[in-house]
Amino acid sequence: MIHLIRNAIHEGLLNIRRKLGSFLITLLMVSLSFMVFDIFLIISWNLGTALKDEQENVGIELFLSDNITEVQAVILADIVSGMEGVRSVYYVSPEEAEAVFRADLPEQADLLTLLGPQFHLPPSIQISLHPDYRTSEKVGGLARTVSGMDGVEDIVYGKEYLPGLTRAVDILEKLVILAGLVLAVSLSLVVANTVRLAVARRALTVQIMSIVGAPGWFVRVPFLGEGMLTGVAGAAGSLLLTLAVSWMLSSSLPHDFLPGKWIMLVLILGASSGAAGSWMGMKSGIPKPRS
Amino acid sequence: MMITFGNVSRYYNNWPALENIDLQVHPGEFLVVSGPSGAGKTTLFRHIWMGDLPSTGTVEVAGYRSDRIRKSDLPFLRRKLGIVFQDFRLLPERTVFDNVALPLQVAGTSPKAIRRRVFALLAEMELNHRRGSYPHELSGGEQQRVAIARAMVAHPVILLADEPTGNLDPEVSRMVIDLLIEINRSGTAVILATHDPRQVPAGTARFLYLDRGHLVNPGVWDGYRQL
Repeated sequence: MIHLIRNAIHEGLLNIRRKLGSFLITLLMVSLSFMVFDIFLIISWNLGTALKDEQENVGIELFLSDNITEVQAVILADIVSGMEGVRSVYYVSPEEAEAVFRADLPEQADLLTLLGPQFHLPPSIQISLHPDYRTSEKVGGLARTVSGMDGVEDIVYGKEYLPGLTRAVDILEKLVILAGLVLAVSLSLVVANTVRLAVARRALTVQIMSIVGAPGWFVRVPFLGEGMLTGVAGAAGSLLLTLAVSWMLSSSLPHDFLPGKWIMLVLILGASSGAAGSWMGMKSGIPKPRS
Repeated sequence: MMITFGNVSRYYNNWPALENIDLQVHPGEFLVVSGPSGAGKTTLFRHIWMGDLPSTGTVEVAGYRSDRIRKSDLPFLRRKLGIVFQDFRLLPERTVFDNVALPLQVAGTSPKAIRRRVFALLAEMELNHRRGSYPHELSGGEQQRVAIARAMVAHPVILLADEPTGNLDPEVSRMVIDLLIEINRSGTAVILATHDPRQVPAGTARFLYLDRGHLVNPGVWDGYRQL
């Protein structure tokens, strides 16, 4: 049995070595097909990251009335921090608000001097939200609740852009899943067919092996191994090609390459589509023992 | 009995490729099956290696019955058989050595034992100097000898030769037939399908004539007389 397994592995390696030219062409075709998928993933990833970053900044700022004391403001902040969806709250005193104003808008700092020492910026409470609560609906709901509280003068939460952002994130997520699935399925079929044709070219080998008494798995394993190897190597090749393109474009079009998990996804897809191709190739290449 | 056909018929879309075949082959026997193209010789062979199964009746080969055999048994049956084809069916990307070694490799024989057996057989068949050559570098006769070596390497109990001389000139054909007779003398049952039964010397074999899927005058014909 050990010799049989050893011979099966040896057979698989020999298959590749004997048809190295055809193997390399298949590999190139698989790599180029996967490159389309890789580029789609990179665009989706970067677009998704940009939208998520934007969403990360979604929060609520409560502007408090001038006559509220610091103690009352802190009590109000404590109440808000206990509400559902609130991750943290931060009280901004009038002094701190002025310091921030001067730091962020130095060219308009004179405005504060002109308004005189009696003028001060209103105190505020900045509310940071849990990720799940950064949608326009949930932020709007929370904003309505806190706006009715005593001492709250005004409320700001990106009312204008938040619905658009939420919709964009939602559409992108669905688009990535849908287009990704369609692309993955069609790509798998292309890869599988490429591998299938490569395997079918060796129908005689398969037939002779069967006739001289090779067990079914002895015939199948080298082909499945070869298909998986072609798929993984093709996917890895596509990632390298895409990385090279990504590197060349990085100065004119700043972007991130795919994260580790997505790279693994591409490699797994390569392996499975390669194996599926081998399986289909064997189905058409192996003579049936019974009819 | 090495091979038994019990009232075997095989139909393809109601067309009888074989019909009511009763046949027994004894261990060590030399059987010549002749007949015109399309007579059913290859179908008969396919039933022996169970690449095809009868529509009715049963075939029993080396203890394996067509009505009971499982898919997983097929490799074990086929390791008891050696098969030679008219078109040689050598694997073009493998050397002579690798082609001949194939049946041993698929049976899980150790590399050392494979080398020993293949070298001995190639020497016996005067092919040792060709062991590193590829099939396209060989003459037709050499290719057929390699195919016979591949069929014999795993010590089969039955050698099936389906028109092995069909692509060879008369002189090389005679050498191949001599080789089959020699193999038979060493105890292996040989079944030869041929258009021309006169290639086989009278008295060395039993002759059968197949026509349109039927055996004609079984047990009577000597392979030489006109039917």
